Amino acid sequence: MSRYAMVIDLQRCVGCGSCSIACRNENNVPDGIYWSNKITETVGTFPNVRHHYIPTLCNHCEYAPCVRGCPTKAMHKLDNGITMHDPKKCIGCKYCEFNCPYGVIYFNWKEPHQFWKNNKALFKGGTSSPREEVEKIGAKKTPYFNPERGATLPANRPKGVVEKCTFCDHRVRKGLLPRCVEACPANARIFGDIKASDSDVAKLLGKFRPFRLREQLGTNPHVFYVRDFNPAQYRPTKGGV
Amino acid sequence: MSAKKGLFSTWLTVLGVAVLIGLYTAYKLFSEGHGLFNTNDVILWSLPLGVYIYLALVSSGLTLLSALPLVFGIRKYEPFAKRLVFLSVATLCGAFVSIGLELGSIFHMIYYMLSPNFSSPIWWMGAIYGVELVVLTVKFALMHKGDWHSGLSKLLATASFILALVAPLMIGSIFGITESRVTYFGPVMSIYCLLMAFMSGTALFLFYSLLVNKLTGNGVPAELYDEFTLIFTYATAIVVGFTLLKFTIESATVVPEFLVYHKFEHAFGAIQGFHTEVLLGLFLPFVLLLIPSVRNSVGGKIVTSALILIGTLLMHMEILLAGQSHPVGPKAEQYPEFVKYFPSIWEFLVFLFALTIMLILYTLGERYLKLTEVPE
Repeated sequence: MSRYAMVIDLQRCVGCGSCSIACRNENNVPDGIYWSNKITETVGTFPNVRHHYIPTLCNHCEYAPCVRGCPTKAMHKLDNGITMHDPKKCIGCKYCEFNCPYGVIYFNWKEPHQFWKNNKALFKGGTSSPREEVEKIGAKKTPYFNPERGATLPANRPKGVVEKCTFCDHRVRKGLLPRCVEACPANARIFGDIKASDSDVAKLLGKFRPFRLREQLGTNPHVFYVRDFNPAQYRPTKGGV
Repeated sequence: MSAKKGLFSTWLTVLGVAVLIGLYTAYKLFSEGHGLFNTNDVILWSLPLGVYIYLALVSSGLTLLSALPLVFGIRKYEPFAKRLVFLSVATLCGAFVSIGLELGSIFHMIYYMLSPNFSSPIWWMGAIYGVELVVLTVKFALMHKGDWHSGLSKLLATASFILALVAPLMIGSIFGITESRVTYFGPVMSIYCLLMAFMSGTALFLFYSLLVNKLTGNGVPAELYDEFTLIFTYATAIVVGFTLLKFTIESATVVPEFLVYHKFEHAFGAIQGFHTEVLLGLFLPFVLLLIPSVRNSVGGKIVTSALILIGTLLMHMEILLAGQSHPVGPKAEQYPEFVKYFPSIWEFLVFLFALTIMLILYTLGERYLKLTEVPE
């Protein structure tokens, strides 16, 4: 059985955010919820400052605290290593979200996609209301509704349950790459079977010195980061006293 | 007599109105979702969960106290036993109301039984408290029928004692095993919850019993309350010592998460760096309890136990909020470094509903179930 993992090449990543937008479209992600996200960091003091950018998503940990803590096994592991969530079993206790060391699980505090139910046009007689837009397209809840997401998970999750990245399991089972990987214009995301020695993922991990987020916690995350984008130059120096 | 009857009817009417408000709150939460709470993806657990922890621990404390006459055979405390068991059941019912309205999808609770996860402390906590409620209810029914010392009755008393001992440890482990939140102190949190359970259970029993004695006059000998107050003082002393130890570790450590935690503005303010609720809700009553004239007076007992009851709730809330206030990972992109919280009206109404259910049970139990009865 495959064990899926993702490598993110930080040298290739330009921080354009197309992974997040693609994810949102593919998985019908509601406002305020981010299956694909980022950590930005500013280091140094002016004028010697730099900006760092780390894309984030569910780490599909081998020893996932969210899975261990879920009282009803709504959060569970698939044989291929993907951490999956079953909203039908979720009691909405939010312990997985509380327990996740990576901040990648979100709770549906209210009915998702409420904006698109709004009947009020921005300019009456000039523009259509969000609801009219959805109806014209014949979509469900949002104009960008993707019914394919519904293959393994309710296409739109209800209020009162959590949700998170599933490595696009509905695509992977059809032999397709996760949508964020496909959408990345810089090929910064590489996905595959970490157990297969000839996979691109395995090759990359052997070539560079990867790191993972909060490795010291022992969760064994399966999102790896390699290289770093840094065009800065400096004159060779030994410093001074 | 008729004035008393009128007061009782008014009290029941007030409770009835509060139940209706509670039912409306439940309807609103189930239909509109928990967006009605002042919570977000950083502060996930708020007042309703704090109230649940508080009431569940108080209930455990009451059961532990009831073990003195029922398990350890200290017969002079038998006049307290029935009331202790009853209060434990009623308080646990209040706790379940609060947690029930905190859950996002309570109708999926069937999977608690159909798909149990034995590695989850939440599962164990729910299961233990569920079983404890049943055991205590049956035990109370037996006592009410006059069966205090049969084999089954003793077995149930022992079982409820063990369950009440394990349940607070399990509540503590929910926080303690969370890898990402070291400020919850790991396994220490379980011990802390157990100590808090015993102290707050004793406080509730003293406060409630003395108040009922004042109102109805049909009480138990005052010396017994003095002995219980001494137990209460010892319990408070242990919690004071444990809290000081916790503060010392907190302030001395240089673990990064604790350094961030130090920047957190205390939810209930601080006096000279010490949390207000700890000073006024734990240290002050402890000092008062050390004064014999205060400890031995009815007023002193009521005031100190009331202070501890309020202080304990606030201490649970402070710990709950402080551990969540700092966003984890990429959530720092959406939220400030520390997220502040004040309950919404709906969260206060959940609290009110839980209290109302408790108070209704207390009232009816006191009226109809002869709670100071002893075996012949």
